Amino acid sequence: MKKLVALGLTLVMGVASLTGCGSSSSSVAEKGGTIKLGVLAPLTGTNAEYGKGFEIGTKMAVDRINAAGGVNGYKLELEVKDSKGDQKESSDLARKFADDEEIMAVIGDFASGSCMANAPIFDEAGLVQLSPTASNPDYAAMSKYCFSIMGRQDGEAPFFSKYILKKYLNAQSVGVIYINSDWGKSCYDNFKKSADEVGLNIVETVNYVQDEKDFSSLITKLKAANPDTICIMDQGAVPQIINQVRGSGWDVNITTLGPGTSEQLIDLCGENAEGIYLSTPFFFDPADQDSMAWKDEFVQKSGFEPTVHPACAYDCVNLIAKAIEACGDGDVTRQSIRDNLANVEMEGVTGPIKFNPDGDITRKYLICSVENGEYVIKEGFDYSEK
Amino acid sequence: MKNIIQKCKEIYIKNKIIIVVLAAIITLVLPVLVPKSYFMGIMCRILMYATLAGSLNVINGYSGQMCIGQAGFFCIGAYCEAILATRFGINFWIIIPLAGLVTAIVGLGISLPTLKMKGIYLSIVTLGFSEIVRLTALNWESVTGGPMGIKGIPTPNLFGFEISNSKTYYFIFLAIAILFIFVTKRVVKSRIGRAWLAIREDQLAAKSLGVEVPKYKAFNFMYGAFWAGVVGAVYAPYVRFIDSTFFTLDEGFNILSMVIIGGQGTLVGPVCGSVIVNLLTEVLRPIGEWRMVAYAILIIVMMWWRPQGLVGASDSILAGDKGNGKKLEKSKQKGGGAHGVSVRS
Amino acid sequence: MEYLFNQIINGLCQGSIYALMAVGYSVVVGVVGMVTFTHGEVIMIGAFAAFYIFQAFGNNLLLGLIASFSASWLIGMFVYKVCYERFFNAPRHISLICTIGVSMLIKNLAQIIFGPNQKPMLNVIENKFFALGTIQISLVQVIIIITVVVLAILLSLFINKTRWGISLRAVSQDKSASYLMGINVKRTAMIGNCVGCGFGGVAGMLLAIYYQTLSATMGSSLGMKAFSSSVLGGLTDIRCSALGGLCIGIIENLGITITSASFRDVFAFGFLILILIIKPEGFASKKGVRP
Repeated sequence: MKKLVALGLTLVMGVASLTGCGSSSSSVAEKGGTIKLGVLAPLTGTNAEYGKGFEIGTKMAVDRINAAGGVNGYKLELEVKDSKGDQKESSDLARKFADDEEIMAVIGDFASGSCMANAPIFDEAGLVQLSPTASNPDYAAMSKYCFSIMGRQDGEAPFFSKYILKKYLNAQSVGVIYINSDWGKSCYDNFKKSADEVGLNIVETVNYVQDEKDFSSLITKLKAANPDTICIMDQGAVPQIINQVRGSGWDVNITTLGPGTSEQLIDLCGENAEGIYLSTPFFFDPADQDSMAWKDEFVQKSGFEPTVHPACAYDCVNLIAKAIEACGDGDVTRQSIRDNLANVEMEGVTGPIKFNPDGDITRKYLICSVENGEYVIKEGFDYSEK
Repeated sequence: MKNIIQKCKEIYIKNKIIIVVLAAIITLVLPVLVPKSYFMGIMCRILMYATLAGSLNVINGYSGQMCIGQAGFFCIGAYCEAILATRFGINFWIIIPLAGLVTAIVGLGISLPTLKMKGIYLSIVTLGFSEIVRLTALNWESVTGGPMGIKGIPTPNLFGFEISNSKTYYFIFLAIAILFIFVTKRVVKSRIGRAWLAIREDQLAAKSLGVEVPKYKAFNFMYGAFWAGVVGAVYAPYVRFIDSTFFTLDEGFNILSMVIIGGQGTLVGPVCGSVIVNLLTEVLRPIGEWRMVAYAILIIVMMWWRPQGLVGASDSILAGDKGNGKKLEKSKQKGGGAHGVSVRS
Repeated sequence: MEYLFNQIINGLCQGSIYALMAVGYSVVVGVVGMVTFTHGEVIMIGAFAAFYIFQAFGNNLLLGLIASFSASWLIGMFVYKVCYERFFNAPRHISLICTIGVSMLIKNLAQIIFGPNQKPMLNVIENKFFALGTIQISLVQVIIIITVVVLAILLSLFINKTRWGISLRAVSQDKSASYLMGINVKRTAMIGNCVGCGFGGVAGMLLAIYYQTLSATMGSSLGMKAFSSSVLGGLTDIRCSALGGLCIGIIENLGITITSASFRDVFAFGFLILILIIKPEGFASKKGVRP
């Protein structure tokens, strides 16, 4: 007990080091000044890949906006913080952003768990938390300051079962393999529901948890049910699963829900990716110079091919910029950004974006396929209406 | 370093009352002094981990068993709170001891079949247990919400005053930490604590002197688990949303490293460890992705420089003198805080 | 029935990967006498060494093997110097925490140096299949199983028959006694540690080829599996550790067959705990084996 003093000393040191940071200014952004945006991203830890994508995606957007003369007379500035993929750190950073009155909006975090733990904090501070990737269906409704642009699964999953599997591919029997996470679960539940409605025959369903590496037993299990099409619902492990399905010598139709037109998938799978079908809200069209330039710039800055996540992060910054623009001559405050963000409509890299009352979006989807190492659009956004 | 600690001790002993009163006042008015929710959030985290690390220290430091699955107990406590509060609407203050009890019973369940296991075999069992608990929480959808987690955990209420943010929650964590230290101090100085220490230093000798080793070992595990469960129960309404990703093995390692950096076998050790680890991760933030590298190097340096931890029991088997009493005698001659072994009754 | 058989083959193959990792692990633990949490990172380094060699020099399996072995050997030397050398007489938890620190260090450095993204492994081994009736088994699987068997036998011979091996065993049983017998304990322990790590590296390479991807964070869950397989086999016994790895692989896959892969680790750890409760020292029940 007598060592309390040592503890006291460390505490004093801590107080000194922590109170040093943070300054207060008016919560209205100065006209013609800079607007600071906070970014929460897992720059270290297991999800570092996505965190890095966030960092680069948001930075690219800010650079472009500032190079074009800023938005509404304001310049944007980012404050990227590493949440390590840990809810506690993420919450602490959320509080830090909430305290710092210069921060006008926050982009992030990556994981739904972190975002949901942060929701009450941002709600109290009246600060927007716009997550590029939070996919838990309950997240956006938790607070009116919480937004997500990942796209609700009650949009994509039914589209997938109704239009891709049933109508386009006319699959007779389907095997499903999904990740047992909030995203995968809600995906599967919605998928199952609409599959039952349209009479799609799901013959076998298997799942796994994050960080799984060996899918051989799951594949054997699916194989035993002998479906003519399998559907993979995940974002990170899709390339491994495709490789292992093909590696086991199983020639089955592969469809995948989740990764979108991820360049990484082609990079990691090579020719194993040939002929897979997927749904995607957006597409790096080789004919479209803008999106190709975007892709090239990303690869150059990060050293790896983009997935859907950095593109979403890029769009998030642009959404906030749109919201600031909508403030017009009025003051830019946390509240005005929130109010305008709710009404923003935008055509982003990841497709058209418009928020539901809850603060998340229901996207429209393309049907794509991989041919000769490239994504090819099979059906456009209007396929469901045909 | 030893001199500094020695000097600090002397100063502390001289001005004990003033320092204690001062410290008490500072801790109580801290939220007024620093009205930043970020800072108070860090304080909450420090206090929470101090108690968690303390509870692990009871197992590892006082009875010399090697548990690395404390995250599992933490998880059980948190889910207990979340389920009881959201499903049955039971009051927060009633759930706390309840969650502790449930966790303690689980702790007993782990402890009974593993009484004969030693060292690393016990630690792999606790590690496995921690993973099994996490995966159960992930898969048992009807009870734990599965991968969706449990959201909307109600915040506690005290005399009509709602405790919802870090500034007010600080007091709950503080109260729990103080209660933990107070109770544990009593327990450690009682017959039970002496039995634990005897088991830690030499199990055979303890047995031959009539200590009922199995009973005390099991109780030790239960006691440590109880407090981890209590902290879990307090933590759940603090975040208001929990899912299984909160309680990974890394969490367990994190708690373990706090105990060992701070020092095993003393009550202050884990508190110190929690302060250092949590502050370091915040202070090192400006160096970006190199942060974890720096943190890892610091852990290694710490182990080289002061293997018993910053304020660990330097005169026990944990500090590295196996079976030789020389160091022990020395420290007795110095009259230093031989808290580890020569407990005054 | 053949479905079940296929699952057992899957389990066998996965088990042999675990076994390969566990063999290295048990050499480390046997010689150094302390448990390590760095093995996952050693495996990862081995995989990355092979990856870069394949990129630079094409599909040369032998070259990759040498590269991953030697890269892991170097990491092993580093781990030994940092975590073990000073702590032979200290309580075990100190070196344990040191290994946790080193594992964090290597993992985060690797993430900075190699980049955080997943990388595709080249198809070094041709994707061929052997059919035994309706059961099919791929060439990679065959190679992995053969490697494990050969390595386990070689290592057993090395440890039981050669002079080097005998001194390794002596060191693993009693450090001070072997010091009195004129064995250079520190050097022997280091070499033993490095051999174990080298096998870990080879395991990493095979693993990356089998799963066709590698990333800087792949190590942690693998290291844990190596650890549990090794504990199941009694920590220090090479053949029992290999057996432990196989058992865990098969049990896991049978478990998955009944339920789903979400329960994989529940089966692995559940089985481990069950065995430990029945036999507190794992499969190897030799008396006086440490730790």
